[in-house]
Amino acid sequence: MFTFNLERKIRMRILFINNDGSGFADYLEIAENTSVEQFFKIKMAGADASNYLIRVNRQPVPSVYILQENDRITITPTKIEGAVIRL
Amino acid sequence: MIMQSIYEIKKNRLHHLRNKFTEFICQCNKATKDSHLFYRAINKDWLTAAENIKTRLNRNLAEFTYHLQQFKYLADSDEIKLPKFSDVFAELSQIEQDFGEFRFDLNEKTISVITDPIILNDIHFGAFEIRLCIEQISQLYCESPYIIIALEPNCAGPDDSVTHPHVRSEKLCEGDGHISIRKALEQGRLSDFFTMVISILQTYNPDSPYVSLDEWTGIPCYDCDCIIGGDDHYFCEYCSQDFCPQCSTYCRICDLTICLGCSYECPSCNEYACPDCITKCKDCEETFCKDCLTEEGLCQNCEDNRKENDNDQSKPNKTETCIAIQPNSMGQVNIHA
Repeated sequence: MFTFNLERKIRMRILFINNDGSGFADYLEIAENTSVEQFFKIKMAGADASNYLIRVNRQPVPSVYILQENDRITITPTKIEGAVIRL
Repeated sequence: MIMQSIYEIKKNRLHHLRNKFTEFICQCNKATKDSHLFYRAINKDWLTAAENIKTRLNRNLAEFTYHLQQFKYLADSDEIKLPKFSDVFAELSQIEQDFGEFRFDLNEKTISVITDPIILNDIHFGAFEIRLCIEQISQLYCESPYIIIALEPNCAGPDDSVTHPHVRSEKLCEGDGHISIRKALEQGRLSDFFTMVISILQTYNPDSPYVSLDEWTGIPCYDCDCIIGGDDHYFCEYCSQDFCPQCSTYCRICDLTICLGCSYECPSCNEYACPDCITKCKDCEETFCKDCLTEEGLCQNCEDNRKENDNDQSKPNKTETCIAIQPNSMGQVNIHA
């Protein structure tokens, strides 16, 4: 008798809005039980979270918050350099 | 009203894309025409003509690249998804939550948010009002739909139009935030828009301000002490100081910028020259600009005097041939036949 131990990662859909650089706003699929901190490290690799305003469903959340299906996560830099656009 | 404006953005973006497409095709046609001329010049060994065309091509490439980037940016952009009414309502609620309050002017059709006082490098700029004109959101690709109003202005030097290192005439230099701000407005994410504008106001970019913080209070003219700012100051290469336009000039011979103190006014032409472009007349030893001296190093007066002296020396002595026909006194006189 054989037993199968299958691990199946359940994926869920969230709306990701990135206001950094050229910007991004679209739905993504992520693994279940992904925290905000983990999500930031994946999507904003190398960036310092303290330089960003992170909101989930328009509310500030702790970094350990676990993202839910259809959550709306927004990442906005707090330091954006203005400059004259020169040709 | 907000949703109508966002719908208009979608329409205007396609119009804008069409215009950019046309400009890009125009640049392509120019490059094609130049290439034909270039090939002909090379084939006929007209190397000078080929060099001239190459120079023009090089200059046009910069424009070509700009138009290509503009066209590509618009063509690559995602289709604008219109927000739902509930999304717009949620945005307004979030603005109120994040910024305390916002002002909605029904007559002017504007939404305004007041920032906290902005302080950069210990310089106080006061609070600003970010006023977004809803009807102008649809003109996003032609002009900025919002203005930044200084409520307690601390303007830069004598330039009243600069109220913040990145704000001139109430227009913000968006810099790194340009694309994100545009996308936020296209998608109706008003809260993100205000958040990003405030981030720019709270961040100083020393590489590209209208007026740097070091020069915010202006530079005093070394001569008259008046405050000069922006591009109105002139640097004298001789005494290495900054001067206002009234206390500076330029050398009429070599075009170098100099202050009035270091310059010399030529007594002949009354123009200003720098110390390197003046010299003394070899005869009278008075100082003139180089343009007012002859090749022999003489001023006009001395040159004229020399010519006069030369003429005097070459004239014959007329008294030897002149014969008095009728003397004043009686007597005889020889009359030649």
